[in-house]
Amino acid sequence: MSPPRGGSALFRLRFGFVAIAIVLSIYGARLVQLQGLDPKSYAAMAAAEGVVSITLPADRGAILDRDGEPLAESVDGLMIVADPKLTTEHAPYLAKELANELGLDYFTTLKALSKPDTRFQYIARRVPATQALNAVERLTEAGYKGLATERDPLRDYTRDVAANLLGYMGTDGEPLGGMELTFDKILAGKDGSARYEVGGGNRIPLGDNQTVKPVDGKDLKLTIDLDLQWFVQRVLRQTVLNARAESGMAVVMDTRTGEVLALADDPTFDANGPLRREDKSNLGSRAMSDVYEPGSVEKVLTLAALLDAGKVTPWTKILVPPELPRQDRVIHDHWDHGNEKLTLTGVLAKSSNIGTVLAADQFEPAELHGYLDKFGFGQRTKVGVRGETAGMLSDPDTWSQINQDTIAFGQGVSVNALQMAAAINTVANGGVRVSPSLVRGSAVTDQGEQVGTDVASPERVLSEKAARQTAQMMEKVVDPEDGTAPKAAVPDYRVAGKTGTAQRVNPECGCYEQDAFDVSFAGFAPADDPRFTVYVVLRKPGVAGGGGSLAGPAFSTIMQHALRRYSVPPTGTKAPDLPVTWTRR
Amino acid sequence: MSEARAVQFRNRVPRLAEAAVQRARLSVVPRQQTRAARVPFVTLVTLLLVGGVVGLLLFNTSMQQASFAATALEGQATNLSAREQTLQLELDRLRDPQAVAEKARSLGMVESAGTAFLMLGEDKVVGKAVPAPPDSGTRIQPPAPDKPAALDPPPVKAPPAKNRQHQQNNQQQNQQGDGQQGNQQGNQQGNRQQRSGR
Repeated sequence: MSPPRGGSALFRLRFGFVAIAIVLSIYGARLVQLQGLDPKSYAAMAAAEGVVSITLPADRGAILDRDGEPLAESVDGLMIVADPKLTTEHAPYLAKELANELGLDYFTTLKALSKPDTRFQYIARRVPATQALNAVERLTEAGYKGLATERDPLRDYTRDVAANLLGYMGTDGEPLGGMELTFDKILAGKDGSARYEVGGGNRIPLGDNQTVKPVDGKDLKLTIDLDLQWFVQRVLRQTVLNARAESGMAVVMDTRTGEVLALADDPTFDANGPLRREDKSNLGSRAMSDVYEPGSVEKVLTLAALLDAGKVTPWTKILVPPELPRQDRVIHDHWDHGNEKLTLTGVLAKSSNIGTVLAADQFEPAELHGYLDKFGFGQRTKVGVRGETAGMLSDPDTWSQINQDTIAFGQGVSVNALQMAAAINTVANGGVRVSPSLVRGSAVTDQGEQVGTDVASPERVLSEKAARQTAQMMEKVVDPEDGTAPKAAVPDYRVAGKTGTAQRVNPECGCYEQDAFDVSFAGFAPADDPRFTVYVVLRKPGVAGGGGSLAGPAFSTIMQHALRRYSVPPTGTKAPDLPVTWTRR
Repeated sequence: MSEARAVQFRNRVPRLAEAAVQRARLSVVPRQQTRAARVPFVTLVTLLLVGGVVGLLLFNTSMQQASFAATALEGQATNLSAREQTLQLELDRLRDPQAVAEKARSLGMVESAGTAFLMLGEDKVVGKAVPAPPDSGTRIQPPAPDKPAALDPPPVKAPPAKNRQHQQNNQQQNQQGDGQQGNQQGNQQGNRQQRSGR
């Protein structure tokens, strides 16, 4: 009885071993198949099955005005995409609904929804998230398939304000110009990421889990005053239209701090809308990138320098001949006259080229150059605007007599608008030039330049007395009887200013164009305690007129608005009555 | 073996008071065969096991529940923040200086022409408050874009006819009308005329 029992146990044992071995070798074979032959595809399949990996987008910093009002800010947007294979059937209805709800073009939408041979079409981009979700959810719930939303960050700009400074963003959220590009490192922040396992659409609590938090971009605060910038842009556009000018620019500076409150360009573009073809040339800031000859506004600087050097006084008597032959050229005034007996004040008030040249004869080229250099000519203002030009101020060693003569009244030297505004601001600020700034605090540009109010530096160029006397002489410019720009006056306020009318230089031939001018007006108010410096330039106006009649009224409107906006009361003093002519006693 | 030693030992010891020795001999107390009750222990272990499993299950379930809640709340948070941003956007659009100016204009508001300042410390008024003119002349709307050529054909020149005088009059009237529109509304036609007059 025992042998058969023992044999059966042995048999069972052996049978069990064999069975286990078979099962194990099946496992082994499967293991080799999974791990040895093509491990990656299976790992990928497993990952795709349960692991979700998403980018946590960093919020792009806003660009704010001086009071913290947003000029540009990022909003979570969505794009609506369609799978035309699924939407073609109901395309007309869907197109109608989407067009109504999101303000899309019906025909474009219809075409996209029913496009053959594709499974992906953009329907709308950069739609505010709730709007897009509402629309898609409603249609999906109603049983229409094939519409989906995807993340599409939206950059929103204040309508038609400072676009030339701010720049714009591309459709994929990349900066394409202006400050968006210059300060991208500050604004952009750093995207984070998250990887986690999901089951049935929910995160598995103890599953693999990895999160890198996004670092949001920082805000960039400008010195621009949103409301003032808007107003200046409207006035400038109107002025450019009325004068039929090719372009125009306007600068408003805070005299004491050098902060740029408004920097307007016209024509401009709409940073919110899609770029139009004609916008191409209007994207940058002309006020920073265009060079032009400042013309007579420059006389202020020449005469201020002469006053500072102690070579003249506002009462210096100058006999101004009808014309002045110099080297191979003859210098004229803008009006025909005989021998005029003008004081230095009169020379400035009436904007006499000849008088300025005669006064500037007391300067050596190096002296005049030295002053202009200190006024900031020939150097970029470094406010953080892309494509800024340095202007042109040639080496005094190369100046001939005629060079110095023309430079003294603003020909043969070229500037950008902000440079010139900062130079005039020096006179307003009691002879101290503060470097202009557009960024509050400090920021580093993509070129590695530190810019902003924190790095703005004051530098004395003129004595206080010279600056004050220059300002008093400039008040005569807006005098209704003696001046060239009575239209630039601001009622109740003392205004100091200077007109500029310069022949345009044709860059192709390097010669002056006939009948093409750049007209401008620069000034500050209140003249005896200046708060703002305003500079308006019109390039190539299509109507006859000089700086006083074309740019003067815009200056007056802008200045009046700025004074009112910042509650600057009139000083209530009277302008000293400096004589503009003299008589031999 | 120990019994053998004991015997040896016993033999070596002189047989004195054997009875006392016999009485005093140590012997192993018989082990009591009391066994602890198994039931409580088994119950405890079973309870522990069942409790652990059920606890784990409950814990897991509650974690899952929390995960569902987290997902739902996250979705809600995303929706709400999107909504907040959209509202912020709307607010910004309403506060846009252009929008404010347009509203103000439509209400008939105009820019002030002069401001008077009351100097409280000095008991005087600086500046003059003057009534604002009905139109400051600052246009806030952009000029209408140029029309494509198809919508803006060049004017048709009428051939000289008998009633030429009459036509000219008409034309003049039209031109005047256009000019006014150009001034008042930035009408594109008016602008075009200005330009062509350059």
